[in-house]
Amino acid sequence: MNRNNFFIHVALALVLILVAAFAGQLSKWRKEWKGNVGIMPHAEKKQPATTEEIALTENRNFGRPEVLVKFKSGVSNETIERLTASLHDRVEDRIESAEGLEAIDDLDNADAASIVAEYSKLPEVEYAEPNFEIQLDAAEGPLVPVFPRDPQFEDQWALANSGQKGGKQGADISATLAWAKTTGSDKVVVAVLDTGVDYSHEDLAANMWMRPDNLPPYHDNELGTIDDENGYNAIDGTQDPMDDNGHGTHCAGIIGAEGENDVGIAGVNWKVQIMPLKFMNSSGFGSTKDAIEAINYAIERKKAGVNVRIISASWGSTQKSQALGEVIRKAYENDILFVAAAGNATTNNDRTPHYPSSYDVPNVISVAALDRNDQLASFSNYGPKSVAIGAPGVDILSTWLDNEYEEKSGTSMATPVVAGVAALVVANNPRISVDDLRKRLMDSTDPIVALKGKTVTGGRINAAKALE
Amino acid sequence: MANTKDGAVENARKDLAHRLNIDAGQIKERSVEESDFPDMALGAPEDDEMSGQMITRGWRIQLEAQGKTFEYRADKNQLRAYKFKGKNYRV
Repeated sequence: MNRNNFFIHVALALVLILVAAFAGQLSKWRKEWKGNVGIMPHAEKKQPATTEEIALTENRNFGRPEVLVKFKSGVSNETIERLTASLHDRVEDRIESAEGLEAIDDLDNADAASIVAEYSKLPEVEYAEPNFEIQLDAAEGPLVPVFPRDPQFEDQWALANSGQKGGKQGADISATLAWAKTTGSDKVVVAVLDTGVDYSHEDLAANMWMRPDNLPPYHDNELGTIDDENGYNAIDGTQDPMDDNGHGTHCAGIIGAEGENDVGIAGVNWKVQIMPLKFMNSSGFGSTKDAIEAINYAIERKKAGVNVRIISASWGSTQKSQALGEVIRKAYENDILFVAAAGNATTNNDRTPHYPSSYDVPNVISVAALDRNDQLASFSNYGPKSVAIGAPGVDILSTWLDNEYEEKSGTSMATPVVAGVAALVVANNPRISVDDLRKRLMDSTDPIVALKGKTVTGGRINAAKALE
Repeated sequence: MANTKDGAVENARKDLAHRLNIDAGQIKERSVEESDFPDMALGAPEDDEMSGQMITRGWRIQLEAQGKTFEYRADKNQLRAYKFKGKNYRV
């Protein structure tokens, strides 16, 4: 070997050593990263996943925090640190959107059940639960629930019921798991047929439908041309669907209050387009004729290319109108789902029908209301043959007039929950037909004892299941 | 119209007097109590009327005249005669 060859061989050996060392470090980093995936801090917002299957498996200590512990209101961070240290644990993450909720890592690697038992005994603790691992299919890695940073989210028990205010933990629509898959799409238009919507509300303005520049103003043979820039008002046939009651604004917020905007609440959809159709007045009632006019408007806009996929109808009466039934069927023929309130008269809709929810039209899905303990709301109508599904509808926090937020109750509030889930499904599967969309919702429930024999499905809508 | 409880009772009394064609002084106030009504028509919809299905706080007003009891329902936005001779009326 001459002198030049010697130096070349030495240089090659050094390069090989460096490559091997770097590869080893990469492997180590990868293992550490995989092991530490758990509750997602807000600063590291996870993008919604796109795969098909969600599976839940119990935590078996994968190196991520073993338990989630909710400390009682008023327990200081110092006390929490002291308590966890005394149990030879550490606070791995603090969930800012839920006061007192901590992800705890056990330094002894004990099993989750025994750690939960330890914390559950402490007087400072409201509840403790295992940090379940949520997985996509084997190739995709774990899927974690997504919590928005909207400041009033912790009061939205319908979306994430942690047992707040005496509720039953888990009695919710599994929104945080659904959001790991999609938080909605601004390509999906949901028509809110109601008292109008306060389209200037701070938590709604970004998600309001506006007539696109390339779409001509609405033309009605009787009313003439209407500049429907913000939607449609069927009461006086004008362009202004501004809410003067609050009910429609509340329903709109449930469907699509802007998420992750540091303001107010999160809707079932963080992004969506809400099309306000006003047919009820400032007192909250309206005529069948105006309802028909507004539905007809939505259909015409669909025909003109607006992607109206869902109408949310939080209203009704026991009066049957053949004309209303026919226009809803026309909506079906135009691939529009019609989600309707079952009514609040505590009656059986099989015997005393409530319209429009009782129309026997394939796109109608009738919604009963549940409380935060998975009980049928004391006021809710039901019907083992005619009411499709249950959804949260008691003490529901949502948007109100003048940038306010209020808690309201009624099948009015349960209806937009289901309409919102329908919009998530469409966001995830834009080509889904109205028949398949309705079936998907009907097949995506958690069985609820209180609904057995009271609704067709006997279950509460589950948004995560609807996206599987 | 932003009703107060007293204003609603006064308007109910006037309406009943008109319907019965009697003097308002012949009408007694039997009870006025806060109540949750099942919808935004206060559970007293007129024919061909659709209403928001939200629980609505208001007042149940019971008036007495000609030996009978008549019920009115009101909230801050409206007043209704409940099943007057079998029918509901917005006042």
